[in-house]
Amino acid sequence: MTIFKMLKFLLFLFFSQLVSAAIVQIDQKLVNKNVERSIDLTSHLVKVTAAITLENTGTSPISNYLIVLEPGTSGNLSFISVKDALKEELVVKPTEVAGHTDKVFYNVILKQPLGGSRTVVLNLEYVLTEAIVPYPNEITQKEKQFVRYFGSHYFYTPYSTTKQTTTVTLNSRNIENYTKLKPVSQSDSSIIYGPYTDVAPFSFDVLSIHYENNAPFLTVTHLHRLIEISHWGNIAVEENIEIVHSGAKLKGPFSRYDYQRDTSSNHHSVKSYRTILPAAAYNIYYRDSNGNISTSTVRTRKDWIELELRPRFPLFGGWRSSYMLGYNVPSYQYLYKKGGNEYVLSMRLLDHIYDDMHVEELETNVVLPVGVKNVKLNAPYEVERLGDGKTFKYLDSLGRVVLRLKKSNLVEQHIQDLEISYEWDTLTLLHEPVLLAVALYVLFIIVIIYVRLDFSINKSEKKE
Amino acid sequence: MSQTYTKKSSISKLNSKAGISSLLIFVILLLAWIAGFSSRLFAVIRFESIIHEFDPWFNYRATAYMVKHGFYNFLNWFDERAWYPLGRIVGGTVYPGLMITSGSIHYLLHLLHINVHIRDICVFLAPVFSGLTSISTYYLTKELWSKGAGLFAACFIAIVPGYISRSVAGSYDNEGIAIFALQFTYFLWIKSVKTGSVFWAVASALSYFYMVSAWGGYVFIINLIPLHVFVLLLMGRFSNRLFTSYTTFYILGLIMSMQIPFVGFQPIRTSEHMAASGVFALMFAVATLKYLQSMMSKSEFKSLVIYGGLIAAGIVFGTVVLLTYAGFIAPWSGRFYSLWDTGYAKIHIPIIASVSEHQPTTWFAFFFDLHVLVATFPAGLWYCIKNINDERVFVVLYALSAVYFAGVMVRLMLTLTPVVCILSGIAFSGLLELFLRDDEIAKPEESGDEEHTTPKNRKYDKVGRVPKMKHELNKEPDGIGPNIRTIISVVILLLLMLFAVHCTWVTSNAYSSPSIVLASYSGDGTRQILDDFREAYFWLSQNTADEARVMSWWDYGYQIAGMANRTTLVDNNTWNNSHIALVGKAMSSNESAAYTIMTALDVDYVLVIFGGVIGYSGDDINKFLWMVRIAEGEHPKDIKESNYFTEQGEFRIDGEGSPTLLNCLMYKLSYYRFGELKLDYRTPAGYDRTRNAVIGNKDFQLTYLEEAYTTEHWLVRIYRVKKPDEFNRPRIPVANRLVKSPNFVSKKSTKRKRGTLKNKPVIVKGKRLSSKQS
Repeated sequence: MTIFKMLKFLLFLFFSQLVSAAIVQIDQKLVNKNVERSIDLTSHLVKVTAAITLENTGTSPISNYLIVLEPGTSGNLSFISVKDALKEELVVKPTEVAGHTDKVFYNVILKQPLGGSRTVVLNLEYVLTEAIVPYPNEITQKEKQFVRYFGSHYFYTPYSTTKQTTTVTLNSRNIENYTKLKPVSQSDSSIIYGPYTDVAPFSFDVLSIHYENNAPFLTVTHLHRLIEISHWGNIAVEENIEIVHSGAKLKGPFSRYDYQRDTSSNHHSVKSYRTILPAAAYNIYYRDSNGNISTSTVRTRKDWIELELRPRFPLFGGWRSSYMLGYNVPSYQYLYKKGGNEYVLSMRLLDHIYDDMHVEELETNVVLPVGVKNVKLNAPYEVERLGDGKTFKYLDSLGRVVLRLKKSNLVEQHIQDLEISYEWDTLTLLHEPVLLAVALYVLFIIVIIYVRLDFSINKSEKKE
Repeated sequence: MSQTYTKKSSISKLNSKAGISSLLIFVILLLAWIAGFSSRLFAVIRFESIIHEFDPWFNYRATAYMVKHGFYNFLNWFDERAWYPLGRIVGGTVYPGLMITSGSIHYLLHLLHINVHIRDICVFLAPVFSGLTSISTYYLTKELWSKGAGLFAACFIAIVPGYISRSVAGSYDNEGIAIFALQFTYFLWIKSVKTGSVFWAVASALSYFYMVSAWGGYVFIINLIPLHVFVLLLMGRFSNRLFTSYTTFYILGLIMSMQIPFVGFQPIRTSEHMAASGVFALMFAVATLKYLQSMMSKSEFKSLVIYGGLIAAGIVFGTVVLLTYAGFIAPWSGRFYSLWDTGYAKIHIPIIASVSEHQPTTWFAFFFDLHVLVATFPAGLWYCIKNINDERVFVVLYALSAVYFAGVMVRLMLTLTPVVCILSGIAFSGLLELFLRDDEIAKPEESGDEEHTTPKNRKYDKVGRVPKMKHELNKEPDGIGPNIRTIISVVILLLLMLFAVHCTWVTSNAYSSPSIVLASYSGDGTRQILDDFREAYFWLSQNTADEARVMSWWDYGYQIAGMANRTTLVDNNTWNNSHIALVGKAMSSNESAAYTIMTALDVDYVLVIFGGVIGYSGDDINKFLWMVRIAEGEHPKDIKESNYFTEQGEFRIDGEGSPTLLNCLMYKLSYYRFGELKLDYRTPAGYDRTRNAVIGNKDFQLTYLEEAYTTEHWLVRIYRVKKPDEFNRPRIPVANRLVKSPNFVSKKSTKRKRGTLKNKPVIVKGKRLSSKQS
């Protein structure tokens, strides 16, 4: 009994040790020597980049660097990445820090442990969505759209910072007001805060900017991307997109007369936007539940195809639309043979919809050919894999495996390749034609036999 | 076929001949099918695979519902999105044949995993069925006359505009499959009359059942077949074959037709169906008499016929009249009356008269839809009358009744077209037979022993041989010279070619517009697509609340339901005239009166069609007088048609128009802010291109509505009906109100104080008022 208890206790100790190993301590010997931060508020996304110069003031080497999100922004974070001075991606993982359970930390594992009194430069980049809020949140058709952003004057960090500056870029000079924590200067459409020196860890001071922003506040509420592989040499892509104008809501009437007279380009409504498709795309279609949308133009560029999409109606704040965009690409560009029966599909999990896009929910379905085995998935970032489905295409009798992947809150930086490898036998390509041929053969045989038989009960009197 | 094998001597020859002729027939029918199918695709190629016009949108929506929810749920479908607040029992008020047909095609294809969208099946259903129609026309004509005439008829019906008008790709309507069912039923009926076999009569009844499930025009069959039987009886052509086929057909047809929920007990309770049962009874009477005749002497029989006939007729007539009075048999419906009296609808049922396809047909339309056939079909009719027999009586009756109906209503041109094709086929076949016959006599070695059998086999004409004729070799016994033969054949060929050209031209220009997508051609020939309807409907579907109710004129009800998926007040079903009149009243009243109606009907949005910017003539202002008329029919106190005309009795929208018109809701909604719009430099602001006038009421504001959306070319304008607190004064929650309404007590009502006027002049009799007041 006691031995059992002892064992249990030991096990508990062991596991708690394991868990605590994942929790990283804040090493106060690490100091942000210089932080050059820039916040890009020109679109409806908050794009923050920071060049951080680290210094290890201690003697023992340090291999972890912690990033903490500003309070209240954890739900808005869409993308985060840290690169070293050589522009190489570093591993960033969410973590917890003892004593700071209310904050969200990301742990960066440095390429080489940082030795005592040495410095290194890290480039941090992260994107926040829905952090710019229209204010007032209802405007009439003629009014300009004003938005507010709340952030921090100081770079929010668990380490003490020696020197820091922040540049905020806006897309208009029309700034209603902004917090002025000296030293601060405004030139044209950008505001420079700092330099601030010797800032204590976890310093937070509210920065708020209220300014005009007529960028298209478009949000894709749901994107359903379907990729269909055919080993006859074709990959079909279809995207079902539900889109909403997430800016200030339109108050009062919409007047076509005023809209036609207003020819200025900076208007908060969205008339059209550009989508970029792969250069090899063909058979492009753009339609919705009521049929073809006749207002799109395709321009072929050198390395891509530019598609100007115009929704059926201009999108004002709060207005929704939905459409379906589909095209085909030749499979040789995306499907590789790995040797033997193994094939690798390398295609984008998410593709470009419009510049500075924001996708709330993505579901990518990949329809594999008939009779695949041993499917392996290699996603560029963490995605939720839903249970595999099964679908039947033209004259299928066996059905095809559908991989279903899901992820929410995505931005442009998430346009990355997905790799799927599977084993597939070339002979199954002939399955359907053979089936069809046999069916026709049987049909003809039946007809031939039927015509030669006489089913009448009594002989017909008619003689030829 | 099997018989040919027994004749060992001529096996190879006969076999090859029969083979070639059946191959030829097969190829010609196949080509007719392909030609018919492809000439119906103009709209799909020019625009896209889309459902056209108005009614097809309902059929499509119902089909999509059936495919999604299953057949039984479809039969029980209560559509709460139509006829708000009444709703519509769809399952019991449609002819489900169309939906079942495309639904089962969809089911079959999906069983084979051919994943065709139901919309594409609906779009291409009518062109596919046109091929079946031409095949059944071939068989019908073959039974009536000859194979050659059948091939002519099949080719004619494949491309004739009168039928194409109702069966282009995308025109997903009952008529598309009903004409096939009609022709097929007639073929089976003729076959059963000819053979007297129960099998063909049953097949004919089954086909009739399909027709009943597909189209209200089945009444035409159930009156024409009894008429045929009746006329045959009058002509003394009673036979056991006729007796067998009619009794079988009638009983089975009656029972099966009653299985359709929408038809129900109508076949035994309405006057339209009484002729069939009367003939059924008559048939038995005649059969009994025939039987008695064989047992009685001539004088006995004569008196029996006279007295028995009189008594029987009296009893039957009396029963029908009694039953009608007692309410068991419904009298003729209004739509039926309008078939006899073309002015009837205009006076009594303006809603029927308001539909353009219910107007009487113009002479021009006959030529437009039938071209040369309109001239040749009397010749075919004459051929039939000249060589009359049981089945030709039928086609004569068919032709005469269809010509009458086609003259009454443009829409019924459709029932005329098949018989015109049949008779023209007979006429052309007869002509060619006359002028190409020498060819076969000249070469007896080719024709073989077939030549000397029945003349029917010879009637099969060989069009393909026309250029090979050798006239020089022989002199004809009937005295038609070779030159005349050549000239006539060339003329016939030219006529047929012109016919084909005309058909293609008409199809391409008149009948291939989806009408929900418009195209305009600019000066340099580039095409511009005006997609305003779909723009507006899609806006409605995306940016209004799911349960929002949209008020519009009934023409657009089906489209709103189909494309925007929103609740409508009235739609193309037009079953409730007073509801439509209420909408018409709202449209023709002034804004505040209309607001009362709209709040009573819970209207959230109002949709109007306005063509003044692009010059689209089918807009709501041009239809407006019908709204006024229909509203006047139900609300004669509030709406008067004469108020909407000027003193001179003109309908004008410019400054001289009547004030009632310039202030009614429809006018205001159509022209809201239009007065500010300058279309081009030559015309003043507010110039309406459809009616070529500057509008009379330019500067006005809307109190009770606000513009919610207007499409790119102003074709569709949608207005939101404001809630009372939006236009009156801001709504304050009860808790925040300074003056609480329940505590308020009117001083007037309790003390019965009378109001007084300040500075009221005191008038004394005989004295003048002081100068102040004057």
